[in-house]
Amino acid sequence: MLIRRSRADEAISGTADASRHPPDSPARARPTIFASDRVFKYAVITPAIFFILLIGLYPFIKLLLTSVQNITMFQDDTSYHGFIHFERLFSDLRFWSSLARTFAFTAVALPVQLILGFLLALLFVNRMPIRQVFVAVLLLPVVISPIVAGATWRLMFEHRFGPINQIIGWFVGEEVRLLWTSDPILVWPAILIAEVWQWTPFMFLLLLAALSNVGREQLEAAELDGASWWMTFRWIVLPAIMPVVAIALLIRGLDLVRIFDIIWTMTRGGPGTMTESVSIYAYHMAFREFEISYSAAMALVIIVLLTVLVVAALSRVEISR
Amino acid sequence: MRRMLPSTATGALLSVCLLATTSTAWSQSAAERAVEAAQEYSGTEITVLYEAGLQALDASNFAAERWEELTGIRVNVVESPVDEIFTRIMQAHRAGTASFDVVNVIPNQMPDLAMSGALEPLDDYVERYDYAQELELIAPVYRDNWMRVEGTIYGFPDDGDVLVLYYRKDIFEDPENQEAFREQHGYDLAPPTTWEEYREIGQFITDKYAPEVYGAAGHFQPGNFQYLVQQRFRDEGGRFFDPETMRATINSEAGVRAFEGIRADLEMMPTGVEQWGFVENLNALLAGDVAMSITWPPVGRWAAGYGAETDALDWLPESQVSGRIGYALPPNGQPELAVGWALSLASTSENKEAAYLFMQWMNSEEVSLERVQLPFTLRGPFRESHYQDEGFRNLWPDAGDYLDTLWEGAQSGILDLSIIQIDRYEEALRQAISRLWAGDDIQEILDDTAEQWDALTDRIGVDAQRRAYEDWASKPNAYPTQ
Repeated sequence: MLIRRSRADEAISGTADASRHPPDSPARARPTIFASDRVFKYAVITPAIFFILLIGLYPFIKLLLTSVQNITMFQDDTSYHGFIHFERLFSDLRFWSSLARTFAFTAVALPVQLILGFLLALLFVNRMPIRQVFVAVLLLPVVISPIVAGATWRLMFEHRFGPINQIIGWFVGEEVRLLWTSDPILVWPAILIAEVWQWTPFMFLLLLAALSNVGREQLEAAELDGASWWMTFRWIVLPAIMPVVAIALLIRGLDLVRIFDIIWTMTRGGPGTMTESVSIYAYHMAFREFEISYSAAMALVIIVLLTVLVVAALSRVEISR
Repeated sequence: MRRMLPSTATGALLSVCLLATTSTAWSQSAAERAVEAAQEYSGTEITVLYEAGLQALDASNFAAERWEELTGIRVNVVESPVDEIFTRIMQAHRAGTASFDVVNVIPNQMPDLAMSGALEPLDDYVERYDYAQELELIAPVYRDNWMRVEGTIYGFPDDGDVLVLYYRKDIFEDPENQEAFREQHGYDLAPPTTWEEYREIGQFITDKYAPEVYGAAGHFQPGNFQYLVQQRFRDEGGRFFDPETMRATINSEAGVRAFEGIRADLEMMPTGVEQWGFVENLNALLAGDVAMSITWPPVGRWAAGYGAETDALDWLPESQVSGRIGYALPPNGQPELAVGWALSLASTSENKEAAYLFMQWMNSEEVSLERVQLPFTLRGPFRESHYQDEGFRNLWPDAGDYLDTLWEGAQSGILDLSIIQIDRYEEALRQAISRLWAGDDIQEILDDTAEQWDALTDRIGVDAQRRAYEDWASKPNAYPTQ
């Protein structure tokens, strides 16, 4: 293995080629294109950079350009229009309301998923019979498409035949007809339940992996020293799992900010615009109203906001360094 | 003379041939002409966009196979939920992709699609394939309102949608109910002619029969219900806009009355009815759980048990009210010609001739007569001959009454609002309905809706929208005559 690796290194650096041919041989006189370490590295990286630019930078530039044009359902006006769409966006209450709603929902759903995921991980971190089976079953919601999950929960919350109302009915002893997906008081809790059901297992999985890797020796030493459960958790477990928690929060936080599928299938953003997330509004403007330039401006503002948030979040965790 | 003979004979022969050809052309129906011309495109494939579900079975269970047998042209059916149809067509058009050849279009969205260039003008095709005469035989209300945009043909009306009141004859004709109702309200228990009567009759039935039978139900999900709201608003004397200023007047007293009436109607309906869609309402009517329902034509056929043995309808509950359903026009007698469909040609199609010929064949007198009788599609009659056809009128015992009611509705029906970017105005209306169900203040809901409409109008351009509105409002079926 060692020999193989060194040969590979030689191949990359070109030293193998140099040693194999005497200084005056023709091969030595005409170095291959990979003779230089630098050239080879660039040659390897170039296709990747090209594709990243193609799929990342090009759409971004196109988005920038579109946001200062005026492309709508009826006109392909690609002339420069300045920042008219941004001005309109800043006075668009529906946009800011949907953004505020999205962040508010994230602020509630994220801690709930984290806490439930962590509690489940604590439950399953110790060895128990058929643990793998339980873990596999718990993970099932994650593999379901959010659209399917949303449609399923809409049926679960159906006011006449849905099991949720029936179960509540058993407890209260009479028929219950709660309008989960249209009652302003119930609609957000219904979405929260669906969202937490689907994505808590994801938190659970990451946190279970993190907890499983906490050093046994440290935990045993703390126990011998008489540390309380809280002290052990605060000073040993939490620092050990913190990078994973941060990444889990970041991934789920970003997912929640762009939440679309579950809300769309359950309420379509209603009643009124009460559950309209910023993604739903952006989709609505782009693909139903065909306000292409306006929705490009909207997407740009969302990208900037998210980038600021992600950079701020990354700067607080280890992986940013 | 010798020279003349052959030329005379040739001329006579040519005349005979010409006469024969012409008479063949004359004797050919539009469907036959379409088939003959389409055989040239044998081996090609066309893609047709349909509303998802039963409507699409029109092609996949009936037309596609037969068209392929006749012409060798394969038909690929793509389905989309009704509220995504506009988006799908526009997306394909904007992307410049030939995703669809033939598209089913909601007629009140046709101006938007035509003006944005997504639809192909059809006048030249109609002339080339001699279809004008058969187009004239489409029921006037559909032909005159669902076919042209600014004088150009962009679609063939292909589904005579109209909202019909279905009611339980056994409950209405029960002598005991008749007597009790007359005593209570001072008029006969009969299909309601005003919205007030509708509420009173419904309440009377609910009071007597609930929870087994409720007075009425409907499809109240905003997507479906917005059409009945448009009707109700106009029944109350409402006008959508002030034609001078183009400010929205949906928040007028008429709007408030309409919304208050709708909310009050819920009192005599099953709990949670505001979440019912087309299927929930259909199930309730077929199960005998409701005495009145205002909905689309296919429900009347299924309630009579027509097509119950069809495989495609095996999901449908067996009608418990077969023979007991009566047909009438909704209160005020001028029903909404809600949704409807027209066949249009996508401008990005790469098989325009073949696609057009398929449309002509589907829409023709003889083929459309078969299609509107298919039990598994949602297609309503739309040609004068459909309503009069003896075969159709004898499909079930009350089919004649059913067709007469639809015909009456097609005469007096009122059109869905159709102005520039109508889907955006309808979206605001759908939001208003969902807020109505959520219990918000009615005046506040309507003020917000009017504000959204005004902002839309300003953005589109007041003058442009005024022209579109005036064009729509000038049609005899835009506002009720009573």
